[in-house]
Amino acid sequence: MEGMLFTTQKALHLLVTGDPELWSIVMLSFSVSLKAIILTTPPAMLVAYSLVNGNFPGIRIILAVFNSLLSVPTVVIGLFLYVMLTRQGPFGDLRLLFSQTAMVIGQILLCFPILVALGYATINAADRRVRETAITLGAPWWFTILTVLYEVRFGLLAAVLTGFGRIISEVGISMMVGGNILGYTRNITTAIALETSKGEFAQGIALGIVLLVLAFVLTTFLTYVQGKQEMST
Amino acid sequence: MSEPLLVFRGIEKTFAETNILRNVDISLYPGKCILLSGNNGSGKTTLLKIIAGLETPSRAEIEFSGKSHSWKSAIRSIRREIIYLHQQPYLLSGTVESNVSYGLRFTHLNRKQLRESVKEALEWAGLADVAKQQAKTLSGGVQQRVAFTRAWILKPKVLLLDEPMANMDIESREQACDLLKRMKSEGMSIVITSHDTNIIDGLIDIHFSLSDGKLD
Repeated sequence: MEGMLFTTQKALHLLVTGDPELWSIVMLSFSVSLKAIILTTPPAMLVAYSLVNGNFPGIRIILAVFNSLLSVPTVVIGLFLYVMLTRQGPFGDLRLLFSQTAMVIGQILLCFPILVALGYATINAADRRVRETAITLGAPWWFTILTVLYEVRFGLLAAVLTGFGRIISEVGISMMVGGNILGYTRNITTAIALETSKGEFAQGIALGIVLLVLAFVLTTFLTYVQGKQEMST
Repeated sequence: MSEPLLVFRGIEKTFAETNILRNVDISLYPGKCILLSGNNGSGKTTLLKIIAGLETPSRAEIEFSGKSHSWKSAIRSIRREIIYLHQQPYLLSGTVESNVSYGLRFTHLNRKQLRESVKEALEWAGLADVAKQQAKTLSGGVQQRVAFTRAWILKPKVLLLDEPMANMDIESREQACDLLKRMKSEGMSIVITSHDTNIIDGLIDIHFSLSDGKLD
């Protein structure tokens, strides 16, 4: 118990004193996951919109595929990407393995189906009159899409926050295609895994606190956003 | 009666093996108001949405400028001249002003002209005092007037109104009716659906009844 208390104190000390190694890991995590979510959101929302309003064969099958991808374990995505990016793999020449770019790509693969599925649910629940109103008032197709997305913006923001929470807390992809290289690809989750395996709990606990605070902030913001969504409808 | 603006011929709509509309012909005249009556589910809304280009018919032709075109080939070019208003109009997030100016963004007006047009339209509809209010917080009657104004400002040739007076109190109904009469006097062709034929006296020029997918 005493050891636990001491380790927690040490963890808090690392956080409060702005330990450069710890905060560089935190910054790297945010940098990678923010890039992934920013790159994923526009195409995912377009796909979700097309699935709701499109009129092409196989929509149900595509939707079922996206829903199935929600439950794919991160290590499987990591393994798939590893095989693709390894020297002998089809994209080996790009030399992306064990890089932040590989981590971003992996997180995009993880996040895309989440945003499509949640975006689909949100856009599908949108009032049909929004689209018809935009069309009848002369909006071009791209402005019609923007209008619909804007009208359900709180629901979409909740989807994006959920996706961000998922990718920043994943470990399988980052470990497999990032390689956990200090100062380059070591992020919060891979650092926790490493420090724990070494028996160095202080940094792991400090990083765990960062993740917990992030989870709390995201959940609070999500609740606020969902309240806004209910008010706007 | 003057030359029709648009003539829709042979409109058919089949959904799940049910004929919703059967060979419907309808001509729209400038400055005239058509009342489409019929029971719930008789196909009134479907007919309006096909005319507005919001729903695809199983078969239809459109006649204008002396030529006949298939619905599919012609609807894109005439859609800008036709505005459809829902029974409960959907006002977008934002102020009354931003709602009224929505369609003007797709015209060639510059910012100053746009502002002036919106101001003029709001005064025309008696909405100047609520211009800065959030549109969704207004009463149903005022929302309907905002929707009329949002359509009027674009000066469409055809205005399609789906049960515009439903759920309105007498005062709101009179105000809405007054706006519609002014639109008609400006040469707009108006089509109104209603299952209550007595509510819009003094506005209607032609009355059709839709039953079993046919127009009488």
